[in-house]
Amino acid sequence: MALRAQFENSNDIGVFSRLTNAYCLVAFGGSENFYSVFEGELGEVIPVIHTSIAGTRIVGRLTVGNRRGLLVPVTTTDQELQHLRNSLPDSVKIQRIEERLSALGNVIACNDHVALVHPEIDRETQEIIRDVLGVEVFTQTIAGNVLVGSYCAISNQGGLVHPRTSIEDQDELSSLLQIPLVAGTINRGSDVIGAGLVVNDWCALAGVDTTATELSVVERIFKLQDSQPSAIVTELRDSLVDST
Amino acid sequence: MALYNFKKIQPVPSASDFLDIVLSKTQRKTPTVIHKHYKIGRIRQFYMRKVKFTQDSFEDKLKAMLEEFPKIDDIHPFYADLMNVLYDKDHYKLALSQINKAKSLIEEVAKEYVRLLKFGDSLYRCKQLKKSALGRMATIMKRQKNSLGYLEEVRQHLARLPSIDPNTRTLLICGYPNVGKSSFMNKITRANVDVQPYAFTTKSLFVGHMDYKYLRWQVIDTPGILDRPLEQMNTIEMQSVTALAHLRTCVLYFMDLSGQCGYSVDDQIQLYHNIKPLFANKPTFIVINKIDVTRPEDLSEEEQVKLREISEKENVQILQLSCQTDEGVIDVKNTACDKLLAARVEVKMKSQKINDVINRLHLSEPQQRDDIPRLPFIPEAVIGRRPYDKTDPKRRKLERDIEEESGGPGVYNVDHKKLYILQSDEWKYDAIPEIMDGKNVADFIDPEIAEKLEALEREEDKLEAEGFYESDEEIMDSEEEEFKKAADEAREKKKLIVQAHRTSKMMKNRPVMPRTATTKSLEEIEKKLGEFGIDASAIRARSQTRSRKRKFDESIGDAIVREESLAKSVTPVNIEDRKIAKMKKRSEKIHKTAQRQANLYARAGESDRKILMKKPKHLFSNKSTVGKRDRR
Repeated sequence: MALRAQFENSNDIGVFSRLTNAYCLVAFGGSENFYSVFEGELGEVIPVIHTSIAGTRIVGRLTVGNRRGLLVPVTTTDQELQHLRNSLPDSVKIQRIEERLSALGNVIACNDHVALVHPEIDRETQEIIRDVLGVEVFTQTIAGNVLVGSYCAISNQGGLVHPRTSIEDQDELSSLLQIPLVAGTINRGSDVIGAGLVVNDWCALAGVDTTATELSVVERIFKLQDSQPSAIVTELRDSLVDST
Repeated sequence: MALYNFKKIQPVPSASDFLDIVLSKTQRKTPTVIHKHYKIGRIRQFYMRKVKFTQDSFEDKLKAMLEEFPKIDDIHPFYADLMNVLYDKDHYKLALSQINKAKSLIEEVAKEYVRLLKFGDSLYRCKQLKKSALGRMATIMKRQKNSLGYLEEVRQHLARLPSIDPNTRTLLICGYPNVGKSSFMNKITRANVDVQPYAFTTKSLFVGHMDYKYLRWQVIDTPGILDRPLEQMNTIEMQSVTALAHLRTCVLYFMDLSGQCGYSVDDQIQLYHNIKPLFANKPTFIVINKIDVTRPEDLSEEEQVKLREISEKENVQILQLSCQTDEGVIDVKNTACDKLLAARVEVKMKSQKINDVINRLHLSEPQQRDDIPRLPFIPEAVIGRRPYDKTDPKRRKLERDIEEESGGPGVYNVDHKKLYILQSDEWKYDAIPEIMDGKNVADFIDPEIAEKLEALEREEDKLEAEGFYESDEEIMDSEEEEFKKAADEAREKKKLIVQAHRTSKMMKNRPVMPRTATTKSLEEIEKKLGEFGIDASAIRARSQTRSRKRKFDESIGDAIVREESLAKSVTPVNIEDRKIAKMKKRSEKIHKTAQRQANLYARAGESDRKILMKKPKHLFSNKSTVGKRDRR
């Protein structure tokens, strides 16, 4: 199910939330509207947790995780860490990591099996990612951008990458991640996919500016509601060509 | 896309309003009090300012107007032609040019009167000059009454034009009056166009929007066209022709075979042939409306042949629908949209732009790299779950609902501990101290932290003892070693370059003592030369006196001692030294005299311009009479 949402008039919902298959982190906001979009969609299935990281609301950019674990930057306070420990199920490990590149959400993109990381990330951090999240780690760039977490959104079923990713890069990334990939935009032409879209294996949320074409690409590539990615090249082809 | 937004043009005031606005602004924004005993310069200045200010206000307003109104030559040809049809291009251009002329006339008047004001010799004369300057400006503006009125009308009409994007996907509906164009428009969009059973219900272009294939489509409903030469067509018909001529659209030519519209089938076919040139290079369909009354099969043989001729000769597809029964409406819409989309895609595929899109049309499928299954993880609870429905009365209570009940955002405090997953629910709200016994509680969250740390340290010691870390360096293979060596060399070289650069930079732009001017002690020279392995004994010898020292017994005694001569030679004072001493004296004197003035006024130097107190207190406190306030 793909939905549209906005955080206090901002389209960049990926900045203010982190969605995985086992939990969802949502920033504190002025009202509960944003939280309740997640709650309505996921509330019965996984915990939806209000939190801040290092006192900021950009939880989506500072954290990274999957269903096995959650990584938070060193700036996270003890109280926030305790709050997260109390709110998350025991199956999820939490680790605070000392990494110079502290916006972990920007420098790491992962699903439950594979993670792509920024080329300059510490070797020790990579080790921790491997252990805590239980994933294979690859240093990669997306369309020449080192901020892999900002420029793609991936789940176990598929992934959307920066619109300028070349076909060869797409194929390479797809083989690394072992999921089908397509290049595209979100929020009416924005290329920061990670900021505009949060996704897990059965649900996706995008900013309110996202067009119908973009949202249908999201639904197809992430196989939401039993749709197939192959439809992007067949059914959606004309719409894609004409809308861009 | 709001490429053409004519709604933002500011209202154009009528000529008299215009004058009121500008003159009252002058009154408000310029000084108003002047007396005849003022200096004449001040009086002239006062009136000049008024004249100039009025001219400025006129110019600002007129300039804004000229900039805001669209220039017919710059806008899309569709809009240009539409404006020509609706407002008459010549008239429009004339009105704008008159406004422009008025602007420059006002400018000239102001210039002239400012020049005259410079020679004004009394308050009265200056005032009269100002009056006549403003009067002449007002007359010029009043003459623009008609242009202003016309432009205001144009503005109002422009603001009400439908905002048609000339470049997007568009369906265009045309045909004779009363054939059901607007009914079809109402069926596929929510434009809610007025439909009446008489001709020319639709008097202008209407635009509606619909969604198809995830895209936004524009539908343009045009007024009916009658079959007559272009010169005889009226404004209403010309709008349709403009749209047909300039928009790259899918054209739906509507026909009514039943004759309810009042025009025969022959007439309609004839019209089609006449306006055919406008359909060139556009996907075109003939849409037969009102098939609930008459179908093509019901026509006479002759008419059927004519119809078929069109479709065969021109390769135009004939579609059928009935807005009354909804039969075929969706089919027509879909067929038209598909054909237009295909045409647009084809054009785009041939253009350069396609390179930006081509990678978005590529779906990368992974190549199997190992046998590990990487399965999606979808919890049981998701499958078969009903999606959250806002309108369902038995819906789950969300945080938003609770917030609404307890006072709304800003008042309601979210309970973050409500959802804690703990062993016992009673623990949720337990207060936990942050600091205890001078220690951070969070550091001891793991009960076995001490043992774990100890175990780690033991392991570390053991590894160290086994020499685990030492061997690590030897593992480096030869290639890596070579690489490292090269890197070291490069680094060393770089360092040298940097150093050389720095030293060369150090010598720049500062006084340098020549080596010969510096004095070095003998010890230093010896040491330095010793370093180079040179024997410095010769230098030492040279510096020592070569004469033999007189021994003590030789100095006094019976030897004859000469009297001190009267003309005792005086060691000559170095001339240079004397010069310097003289100069020093002189400079001291100059310095002293220069200081005198500053000292007199208790100043630090000539740059000290501090004014400590301008007025004594009694002058601050407003108690002085006239003529006693001039202080400095």
